[in-house]
Amino acid sequence: MANVSVAAEWQLLYNRYYRKPELYRMTWKHIDLSRNKLHSESALRKLRIFNCAGVPLSETVWKNPGGRLIGMAWTDDQTLACVVQDGTVYQYNIHAEPLRPNISMGKECFEQNVVDCVFWGNGVVCITESNQLFCIPDFKNPKPCKLAGPGIEEPPLCMAVIEPQYTMSGNVEVLLAVGEAYVLAVEGTGFNNWALRSYVVRCRRWLFLVTSALPPEQLSWCGMDTVLLYWDDMLLMMGPRGDPVTYLYDEPIILVPECDGVRILSNSSMEFLQRVPDSTESIFKIGSTSPAALLYDALDHFDRQSAKADENLRLIRSSLPEAVEACIDAAVGFGSNFQRDRIQEMCKILRVLNAVSTMRLASLLVYNNISCYTICSDWWLINAHQHLLALRISEYLGMNQEVVIMHWSCSKITASLAIPDVTLLEILLDKLKLCKGISYAAVAAHADKMARKLAALLVEHEPRSSKQVCSSFVEHRRRDTALSKATESGDTDLVYLVLFHIWQKRPALEFFGMIQARTMARDLFTIYARCYKHEFLKDFFLSNGQLQEVAFLLWKESWDLGRNPMASKGSPLHGPRIKLIEKAQHLFSETKEHTFESKAAEEHAKLLRSDYKAGHFVDSSISDTIGHVLSWETIELLKVKTEFKVSEKRWYWLKVFALATIRDWDALEKFSKEKRPPIGYRPFVEACIEADEKGEALKYIPKLADPRERAESYARIGMAKEAADAASQAKDGELLGRLKLTFSQNAAASSIFDTLRDRLSFQGVS
Amino acid sequence: MAQIPNLDNAPLNLISLREQSQKELINILKNIRGKKCLVIDPKLSGSLSVIIQTSLLKEHGVELRHLSAEPIQTDAAKVVYLVRSQLNLMKFISSHVNNDISKGLQREYYVYFVPRRAVGCEKILEEEKVHHMLTIGEYPLYIVPLDEDVLSFELDLAYKECQVDGDTSSLWHIAKAIHKLEFSFGVIPNVRAKGKASVRIAEILNRMQAEEPVNSPDMVVPEINTLILLDREVDMVTPMCSQLTYEGLLDEFLHINNGSVELDASIMGVQQEGKKVKVPLNSSDKLFKEIRDLNFEVVVQILRQKATSMKQDYTEMTTTSQTVSELKDFVKKLNSLPEMTRHINLAQHLSTFTSKPSFLAQLDMEHTMVEAQSYDICFEYIEEMIHKQEPLINVLRLLILFSITNSGLPKKNFDYLRRELLHSYGFEHMGTLNNLEKAGLLKKQESKSNWLTVKRALQLVVEDTDTANPNDISYVFSGYAPLSIRLVQHAVRSGWRPIEDILKLLPGPHSDTKRGRFATSPSLDTLQGASASMDKVADGRRALVLVVFVGGVTFAEISALRYLCSQEGMAYDLIIGTTKIVSGHTLTESFVEKLG
Repeated sequence: MANVSVAAEWQLLYNRYYRKPELYRMTWKHIDLSRNKLHSESALRKLRIFNCAGVPLSETVWKNPGGRLIGMAWTDDQTLACVVQDGTVYQYNIHAEPLRPNISMGKECFEQNVVDCVFWGNGVVCITESNQLFCIPDFKNPKPCKLAGPGIEEPPLCMAVIEPQYTMSGNVEVLLAVGEAYVLAVEGTGFNNWALRSYVVRCRRWLFLVTSALPPEQLSWCGMDTVLLYWDDMLLMMGPRGDPVTYLYDEPIILVPECDGVRILSNSSMEFLQRVPDSTESIFKIGSTSPAALLYDALDHFDRQSAKADENLRLIRSSLPEAVEACIDAAVGFGSNFQRDRIQEMCKILRVLNAVSTMRLASLLVYNNISCYTICSDWWLINAHQHLLALRISEYLGMNQEVVIMHWSCSKITASLAIPDVTLLEILLDKLKLCKGISYAAVAAHADKMARKLAALLVEHEPRSSKQVCSSFVEHRRRDTALSKATESGDTDLVYLVLFHIWQKRPALEFFGMIQARTMARDLFTIYARCYKHEFLKDFFLSNGQLQEVAFLLWKESWDLGRNPMASKGSPLHGPRIKLIEKAQHLFSETKEHTFESKAAEEHAKLLRSDYKAGHFVDSSISDTIGHVLSWETIELLKVKTEFKVSEKRWYWLKVFALATIRDWDALEKFSKEKRPPIGYRPFVEACIEADEKGEALKYIPKLADPRERAESYARIGMAKEAADAASQAKDGELLGRLKLTFSQNAAASSIFDTLRDRLSFQGVS
Repeated sequence: MAQIPNLDNAPLNLISLREQSQKELINILKNIRGKKCLVIDPKLSGSLSVIIQTSLLKEHGVELRHLSAEPIQTDAAKVVYLVRSQLNLMKFISSHVNNDISKGLQREYYVYFVPRRAVGCEKILEEEKVHHMLTIGEYPLYIVPLDEDVLSFELDLAYKECQVDGDTSSLWHIAKAIHKLEFSFGVIPNVRAKGKASVRIAEILNRMQAEEPVNSPDMVVPEINTLILLDREVDMVTPMCSQLTYEGLLDEFLHINNGSVELDASIMGVQQEGKKVKVPLNSSDKLFKEIRDLNFEVVVQILRQKATSMKQDYTEMTTTSQTVSELKDFVKKLNSLPEMTRHINLAQHLSTFTSKPSFLAQLDMEHTMVEAQSYDICFEYIEEMIHKQEPLINVLRLLILFSITNSGLPKKNFDYLRRELLHSYGFEHMGTLNNLEKAGLLKKQESKSNWLTVKRALQLVVEDTDTANPNDISYVFSGYAPLSIRLVQHAVRSGWRPIEDILKLLPGPHSDTKRGRFATSPSLDTLQGASASMDKVADGRRALVLVVFVGGVTFAEISALRYLCSQEGMAYDLIIGTTKIVSGHTLTESFVEKLG
């Protein structure tokens, strides 16, 4: 029913279909793969880069020292990494321009000679003649490291890596085939061979197969569970079970494994061998009656204006959504999970994919998901200088155009050495304004690298107060502006960035002058310096005459000294402390507004000195000192009282409570009779109640002047009747109510309050 | 019950917000393979406790430690620090590393800054010559959902840092946090700000939108309709008053920490000598959700009623025969028994504090100060407190309230009280007094106070407040309507315009801006009216207002906002953002200089 011609070229491997469409005819000439390394040609000592259709993109002369080229590969961000014998890694971009600096695998590797290497996404592992393994885990941050020694004598038969993203340890793991049917796994810090049992088993099966014939020239996984083996003129595809499929080639080929299949490159063409996706299979399989197949058939009929189209549609009405989904899925060609409402989006992506795979560009994109796609397309297109197309695509798909425009601007600057700054600025601004929120500073930084004045001009247009702005301002010696811009942004971190820069580069006085007028910068500097650069901060405050701040710093230092255990117990170290405080006092007194602090510091110093004499109570307050001393040294105490001009009020409170604490009730009574207490008898009552001495309290309660206070005091010691009497004397209904609540457990007492309150309210009315 | 709040009923999708934060943390740990020791800044660990369970961290091979000056004792070869970007914490890290070096220990160090790297911190690490040994990263935790309607930025020192040190990092942080919300919920079209910091945040927010625009499709109505930003500085009276709601009182006396209180087990009826229990307090507890915002007096009554009715049910159950469905109802009620017991225990414990004469006297004094009538009585009361050496924080709290309502103290009194304070509590508090003065909380009187005008114009003191059936937010302080919430009430109802005269009497400027595609539309004076059509979110929910308190908010204020929300005719749902949940105690404490 379905179009049979599509399925006619599929091969069946056990129960799975595989297909091998030709993607491109190679347009290159005079290329013999049997003589060249993949991706390039080194026989003529030339590095040539082609796209998938064999169109030459660029070439350069290979004149790197370091011996034979061991291997090369494209990394994730489309740079070509080439490893040579002495362990040097040369990198090229797609335009065959060398990227600096070269990476070295280290001295040890240099001495041993690299014999083989394996690349993965962003890294490489090399093995040397003495069977040592060296690794660059990430080209973006190239830090070569030596892996654990595998301890083998013979060079391994073959080597493979498990990418870090798939390993438990998070480091790359290397598999080495040594001896017969034995695989060794090497990790960053050690090796084991039990965790990988499943690999070993799997490999054994293939090793068995291989030993039965000549060893294959190339061997590669195709998809999840199939292996391709290549001999002289035969390509054999082996599945987990069933008979192998054989393809014959009369010219040399190279297998390039991809995530979902294998690319087969020959002198004349580029083919792609992959398992036929389920969705495609369901449509095109010969005799398929799945809804998707019927839908496709209906389209065919519709195109031929046949009425059968409608009939087909009726047949599958209930499963139409699935059918549509399967068709789209098949059209994309790869398994993906998207929702039906994304059909429109999907169609757009299809168009893009088709546009990109035309001969001129010939980049193969794998559609796995949008984000993967985004990265691929951007990198490829941008690196291949196809900015306009990239821009259109990102516009079409509604993606962020920032990356494209940014890259274009930088390339433009690089390529336009001859164009005067002002003209170039116009050209750039014209495009930059297309994208809201783009960082002009990043472009400026590039211009700066090219040593163009353009940088400064660009920065003027930057709307965002990002770090780049500041650093570029700083580089342009316009620190004042940088500081203001940072301050405006409200981003304290940005202000710090500029601050530290100026601090480092300029003499202290200039730095002080610059921050003095700027509150935010000044405050932030102060905070940092308070935490970390005390002395420098003092200089700052002295330079601008904030003497009281210096005084506060000194005074704080005096406390730090106090915290030092050596300084306690009235040791001679007390001297320096007092000295600091006196210095602070002196500085405080310089400004009229700080007389209070000055006096306080004076008293503090005095207290410390007297503490010293007493040999106790370091750092306790004057009141506490009085409280403590009271119990044993009256003469000393009076001295403190006069020396510190302790007010009569406080004196009474302190003394009363101190006497209650030592429970010297006679002394307390004597004290109460000395003269009429300046604050009445309440302290006496409270001290006694708190010490739970009702009898003592009763001596003073009647002396309280305010009947309300009397009532509450009586209530506190549980004398309901007296409390009620006092309250009624005060004629305070609210108070009576409250007191009643306190006595709510006591029925008799409650009734007293009720009667009194009734009487009171009656009085109130009359 | 878990300390991690249930967010199912939140007016915004806060669950995804929290899951994002969980995922980010887990990813950090996942990316550092193998066994590791996670050293957490103690303050952060509180914030994390409402986001992620420690058991989940342990699943990723984590050994937990708190960051302190003490060197780290661990067998793990990898040490991961998770710290706020605070300068003073850097010395701990560098001393740990140096200590390891001196012992010949080789370890890998990772430092993750929350919420982002800070140049200042890294500078210190550089100067201490350990920077090159550390792998540095960020954990962008800007917002922590504390409950279904409360978001915290977890900046407990923001108010002090801003007012005393001039460190405005928190403002950037808040703007960033709000901007992050906008990425999830759309650009907030109306922004109203009062106070210096708030207006600045609104500015930074606009700048961020210009630099890193949130692209919201034109047809989508943003989920948050209005943002109200309010400086704590505008209203320092409210937090200094004792909160009288249930949750507020729990905080005043037992200090709620990241949604739970820690108590002696004996208080909760568990007889274990000296053992502490943690009681979670959030709206996952249905009974708590019902009573947390009520005046404590009422809570006691409700709990009593509930207990009585349950007892009655029980007697009926044992004495009369019941149908199966009646039995079922009864069993259902029994399920709430643990919650009942919990809150009866808590309430009982609270009343031991609230019935103290000293507490009543203090309340009395707060009211007198808010009334701002009897200067001498207040002055003498504070003087006596100092002489009796009552806890410093309590004294300062009243003193701040006194100073604000009088717009400072006459110089003579000011100097006298300061001297008495230093004599009674020690000279180390010279720094404390200086901090308070810098923040304007305790100062010399220079102009006449306009508190009386504000109080009268906004009807802050409401006579005859019925706490059981409140008709005004004043119920949360038994007669005083919090100034901050009155302002929010006006801002929501009619914008700043009608109360501009009063706003001018309060500290700091104010602003009212339209953003996004609404910026160009003709100015809309009120939220209601012209904008009514767009206030209705498609599915019939009420439009949402985000109220952000810059410098902290108290539980009582949150309760008042919830009360407003529950009123009939209220067109908006409110969600609260705050630098931290504060009380007069914690706010005052942040100004106290710790020396010696």
